Amino acid sequence: MLKLLRKEIRLALHPTNVIFLTLSAMLMIPNYPYYVTFFYTTLGLFFLCLNGRENNDVEFSVSLPVPKQAVVQGRIAFAMLVELAQLALAVPFAILRHGMSPAINEVGMDANVAFFGLSLLMFGLFNILFFPAYYQNPNKVGKAYVKSSVLLFLYITVAEALTHVAPLFRDQLDTPDPLFMNVKLMTLAIGAVGFVLLSGIAYAISAKRFVALDLA
Amino acid sequence: MDVLSVQGLGKAYENFKLQDIRFTVQPGEIMGFIGRNGAGKTTTLKALLNFVHPDTGDIRFFGLPFAENELAIKRRIGFVSGGVDYYTRKKLRVITSVSRSFYPNWDEAAYRNYLTLFHLDENKTPSQLSAGMKVKYNLALALSHRAELLILDEPTSGLDPVSRDDLLDVFLLLAKGGASILFSTHITSDLDRCADRITYIHNGRLLASENLEAFTSKYRALEFPEERLTSSMREKLIGLKPSKHGYTAIAIAKEAEAFGVETKPADLETIMIHLEKE
Repeated sequence: MLKLLRKEIRLALHPTNVIFLTLSAMLMIPNYPYYVTFFYTTLGLFFLCLNGRENNDVEFSVSLPVPKQAVVQGRIAFAMLVELAQLALAVPFAILRHGMSPAINEVGMDANVAFFGLSLLMFGLFNILFFPAYYQNPNKVGKAYVKSSVLLFLYITVAEALTHVAPLFRDQLDTPDPLFMNVKLMTLAIGAVGFVLLSGIAYAISAKRFVALDLA
Repeated sequence: MDVLSVQGLGKAYENFKLQDIRFTVQPGEIMGFIGRNGAGKTTTLKALLNFVHPDTGDIRFFGLPFAENELAIKRRIGFVSGGVDYYTRKKLRVITSVSRSFYPNWDEAAYRNYLTLFHLDENKTPSQLSAGMKVKYNLALALSHRAELLILDEPTSGLDPVSRDDLLDVFLLLAKGGASILFSTHITSDLDRCADRITYIHNGRLLASENLEAFTSKYRALEFPEERLTSSMREKLIGLKPSKHGYTAIAIAKEAEAFGVETKPADLETIMIHLEKE
């Protein structure tokens, strides 16, 4: 696994996977739909797979002495690391943003603990939407991304809308920290579990499809 | 023990069917895998490594079935599909660094030797290499993990005659060192020069898998003026076709003398051209 991660970093990595990490600073924007920051992460992952297609990454990877499913494992593990790095880098900016006055985000969800939980869930949803579709046919990476990004935008729209209409979101989750910290920590935990579970299922489905795939 | 044994390999597509392909590769042997474009050579090679899933057949490397021994087998073989066509903007040094980490039996000294032998500069990218150098780099990678069997898909395709000749010299050298080579090609003169045996497929079916000389000696080549052609000859000649001086064809060696025209030994290209005409 470590060898495959190293291969991802040294060969497959697309520059946007690093450049977009700096977009975590977007949490400093006073009023903004902060989920969009993490949408860019998924765009970078699309570029990673697109770059792989143009560089015959699949052909190179399957010729290495690893089982076919390990190729999928390496790619999804790398994607999860990028997603977690994006979130980790966003934390200091969220803290800085919190210190700003006024700290409330007028557009949608505040950059608080619950926001990170909901963002983890968003990444989990992306992984389960994108990777199984991608590994069904790695040559049709655009199709897989269009499908998953449309649903991701739907998730963002619903999540932001809830902060205006749903009492739980409006009155408790979308509040500056440390208010309602219990429910926010609960949201973070649900997001973390959802991220791991959805990504795990994404791997299982993707690996099954990729192993069954005839590489033309 | 066979280095590679393929029995009853089959794969059906909507418009193409690979049927009952069977051959073996022995230690230190160069096996040429021939057939015209679209005959099923690449599909067969990909099926060996399960890149394409065969519908039928038994494939064993070093006596071991591939599915249960994928990791161990991949460490003992090298698969080269033409020249290096992956990560063409990365330096060879980086590609090697990644590749070598997957092989516990990587031989760095051998790798350095092949770089020198093939005049490869590690600071170049594949996009800066000629077609021949790309193949050589792939070979260097395969050989540096001490691959006992090299499976090469059209390695000489697109190379100039001198580069092809260089590469064939390398194959002969490797075979002398004990490595086995299975390489597909439609450039039959390459096989005349270095193959011990050939496996010939036509439209997804096996035509022959045997010693090269034994195969070519089965046929004689004929070239004769138009007025010598009789209806009984027409029935027996294989791949009869017009030529500058009349007709050319091949015939089964035992029957060739009976035609009363001059015959000569048939090389692989002549045999292939006429068999494909049938």
